Amino acid sequence: MSELTTIVENTLETRFPEVVVRDERKGYEGFIIQAEKLVEVVTKLRDDFGYDYLSSVTGVDYLPEGKMEVVYHLYKSTGGSALVLKAQTPREVASVPSLVPVYPGAELQEREAWDLYGIHFEGHPDLRRILMWEGFHGHPMRKDWQEAYYEEDSKPYKSRWPDGEVWRSEDKNTFHKNVDYPAGFDPETWVPDGDASLYAGLGRVVKPGNGGGLGTEQVVVNMGPQHPSTHGVFRMVVTLDGETITALKPVMGYLHRNHEKIGERNTFLQNMPFTDRLDYLSSMSNNFGYALAVEKLMGVKPPERAEYLRVIMAEFTRISNHIWAIGFLLNDLGAYFTPMLYAVEERELILDIFEAVSGSRMMCNYFRFGGVARDLPEGVYEKIRKLVYDRLPRKIDELDLYLTNNEILRSRGEGVGILTPDQAIAYSASGPLLRASGVPYDIRRADPYSIYERFDFDVAVRYHGDIYDRYMIRLDEVRQSLRILQQAVRDMPEGPIQEGKPQYQVRVPPGEAYGRVEGPKGELGYYVISNGKPNPWRYHVRAPSFVNLTPLEIMCVGNKVADSVAILGSIDIVLGETDR
Amino acid sequence: MGDPITLIGKWLENLLYSWGLMPGVVSLIMAVIGVVVIASAVLVLDILLVWVERKVVARFQDRLGPNRVGPFGIIQPIADVIKLLIKEDILPIGADKIVYNLAPIMALGTVLLLWAVLPLSSTVYGTNLNVGVLYIVALGAISTLGIIMAGWASNNKYALLGAFRTVAQMVSYEVPLVIALLVPVILARSMGLTDIVEAQSIWFVFIAPIPALIVLITSIAELGRAPFDLIEAESEIVAGFHIEYTGMKFGLFYAGELLHALTVGGIIATLFLGGWRGPGAETYPILGIFYFFIKALFLYWVIMWIKYSLPRIRIDHMLNFNWKFLTPLSLVILIVMAIVDKIVPKTSMLVYSLVMLFVNVVVGWLTLQLLRRNAKSARMRVAEPKPVARPEPSPTAATSQTSSSSS
Repeated sequence: MSELTTIVENTLETRFPEVVVRDERKGYEGFIIQAEKLVEVVTKLRDDFGYDYLSSVTGVDYLPEGKMEVVYHLYKSTGGSALVLKAQTPREVASVPSLVPVYPGAELQEREAWDLYGIHFEGHPDLRRILMWEGFHGHPMRKDWQEAYYEEDSKPYKSRWPDGEVWRSEDKNTFHKNVDYPAGFDPETWVPDGDASLYAGLGRVVKPGNGGGLGTEQVVVNMGPQHPSTHGVFRMVVTLDGETITALKPVMGYLHRNHEKIGERNTFLQNMPFTDRLDYLSSMSNNFGYALAVEKLMGVKPPERAEYLRVIMAEFTRISNHIWAIGFLLNDLGAYFTPMLYAVEERELILDIFEAVSGSRMMCNYFRFGGVARDLPEGVYEKIRKLVYDRLPRKIDELDLYLTNNEILRSRGEGVGILTPDQAIAYSASGPLLRASGVPYDIRRADPYSIYERFDFDVAVRYHGDIYDRYMIRLDEVRQSLRILQQAVRDMPEGPIQEGKPQYQVRVPPGEAYGRVEGPKGELGYYVISNGKPNPWRYHVRAPSFVNLTPLEIMCVGNKVADSVAILGSIDIVLGETDR
Repeated sequence: MGDPITLIGKWLENLLYSWGLMPGVVSLIMAVIGVVVIASAVLVLDILLVWVERKVVARFQDRLGPNRVGPFGIIQPIADVIKLLIKEDILPIGADKIVYNLAPIMALGTVLLLWAVLPLSSTVYGTNLNVGVLYIVALGAISTLGIIMAGWASNNKYALLGAFRTVAQMVSYEVPLVIALLVPVILARSMGLTDIVEAQSIWFVFIAPIPALIVLITSIAELGRAPFDLIEAESEIVAGFHIEYTGMKFGLFYAGELLHALTVGGIIATLFLGGWRGPGAETYPILGIFYFFIKALFLYWVIMWIKYSLPRIRIDHMLNFNWKFLTPLSLVILIVMAIVDKIVPKTSMLVYSLVMLFVNVVVGWLTLQLLRRNAKSARMRVAEPKPVARPEPSPTAATSQTSSSSS
């Protein structure tokens, strides 16, 4: 912990005696803050100490102690490590003040905590369910909530091999026995009130015509969930005045599978392949973040060669993700697949390498706690060399040449969907979205992990904060990633790839850890709590695709309906990660 | 020899007369046969166009395209048609039934009607209408109506958005189109397409390159093809006006769009590229058909090339481009060329053409200068450079890593 953070901590405790107390539990860090004074303390932290970036908000259910905890991870936009704050509240009437007035970026994350934990956020402007459907009964992440076909709290389920053959609980258990409906609820006759509250929040207005002319009315259009440009089953409810957007609400959760609940049922290692399914375009980065978090808890460090392999794979992921994003951004702008198909060709070559090392092109499951799964097979090193030194730089220049100065791309992108640096920080934007707005914040530099400190690379920044800059910054980042790759390929030592013996069941000491990496889409964080058992007590994913949608509305309002899909494309989301 | 089509026509006419039919009945039968022959020939060509389009776009996109059904996948469109025919036909709730069903017919029908005036060769044409250019413009307006009908009748918000984009786009791009179409009329001193082709001993594209370009651009906009495909804008309003259409009704829109693209190629070829003219076409009119389709398909290829290379333009940019650039430019070039036409005697075609070309180049150059002067100024920055975020902010760390950026 740095000197500066310690100063902040000491001042906090003296300034707010009894309000702020150090979290003394074993393996925990940060402070526990009295819930009533939360807004006051956090405002102080933001204004006086520079903790202006709220990275993660999530709930934890401590069922045995009978309390809920809301965990906040605050950072400075000038770099440094996290300040962890916690607010505790009784389980039955869980309620803490909302931080949306201080950090607007908390909006979606607090809605998620309300949805999954039933923690009421006092003062939240729009506290509705976000991932679950409106008629859902209960809050699924609570430890005493049990899903249909519930068997046990943690895997491996003892029942699965009773007589040496596998069976599924849903074969023996009829649906109705295990479903808990609210009193007086009949699923056959239930009519969802559904979108009434959503549409009410949009504020449709009827404008009288000027001077007795024609009156105009705004129209609500649902972009999605079935829409070719929402990158999956995402929905934007927009109010249009002609072609101009006057209000927008993101609606998500169509792909929700309660990743975190399943993650808490899984053992630690079982979660590794499961993280692949979050952002299925960049599974290596997902592995990286999770491995970091659990390694922090376990206190192990991977050997040198494994670190290099990790960096190589993570940077390849970034390149493949960015060229995919560029291709699809052009698609959203109406370029009808041509740039996309050219871009995707290079991605295939990168996937070849993933396939060679991990056996799978997309669901790689390559990282292990304290190392990686396999070493490079024969011939792959040469392949990587050729790709990194010759083919990719050439092809990126080609993409740059064909696209960057296209008149239509410029006119569609320049000055559209502007996000100012202050807004970007306040709304917890991360990754290329944040850096395109002129904030040079890259976790690889701001809070270094793995061996990134050794590499010589620049943090790509652009200063206009519009769609065009978000396109340009992806090209910049691909070039920087190539620099890292070239150095990593040059310097990679021989040696073991796994610390200790590879094992199916890892022993994770009790405590909490927040592992975050600079994923291709932004800050990907894993908040893991262990209580010493083989399964995590809490497994939370701070998904960049999800949090980056918070500023979607402020970027879209005032622009044309055609811009909304381009802005969404420039944020670059993957619904597997947004909905989890 | 060289003109088998006229020969067959004459033979058929004589045969009918020999049966003792009245002249009026004979000409009616001949007209009906002509209509049936041209319409079916064009529709068969349309099926082939599906294959051409898919194959060409595949090549643009570094793919192979259809290659499984028949040699080079040439039977693929037949399979497509069969699929479209057996698909479920859906009528959305709340749709205006008559208008909804009429719209695809109008979309394809208006395109077919255009072929009535296109001279395929010196002897093969539907009719030599003396207001051919006017006829083309009028039919363009009716095809717009078909799209508006589809968008309105579908009872769907995306379709409605597509429909009112259509109104904005088609109506405004018709203005520079009509103005630019007047230039070949002035040059040929006729509105009949046959006369315009006859007048092109030197192709009009060399005499009037700027109007030719304006007609190409506005025609693409009238077609609703990229970069002006706002009316169906797949990535924004899903499919726009034809979102609710399934099966063969959608097929009619699709066929109509492809055929319209080829027809526009044919119209531009007729007006600016000399139509059926080419070496030997005067003596062997059958060659004229060949030349005509070569030119039309070349322009069709250009239209595809543009479509599959460019992103979509936005509606306000689209309107700005039309009203602030194309319309004034077409007006200026029309006025200038009309004045030059009055001043320069048409005795020597070569001198006349060179003067016209010179005038076009001057206007084009002035336009470029004007555009350069009024080019958009640089964007406003929303942020100022800051030191890169680091764990321990110390002066040395902040300066050692400068951010990579240029704007």
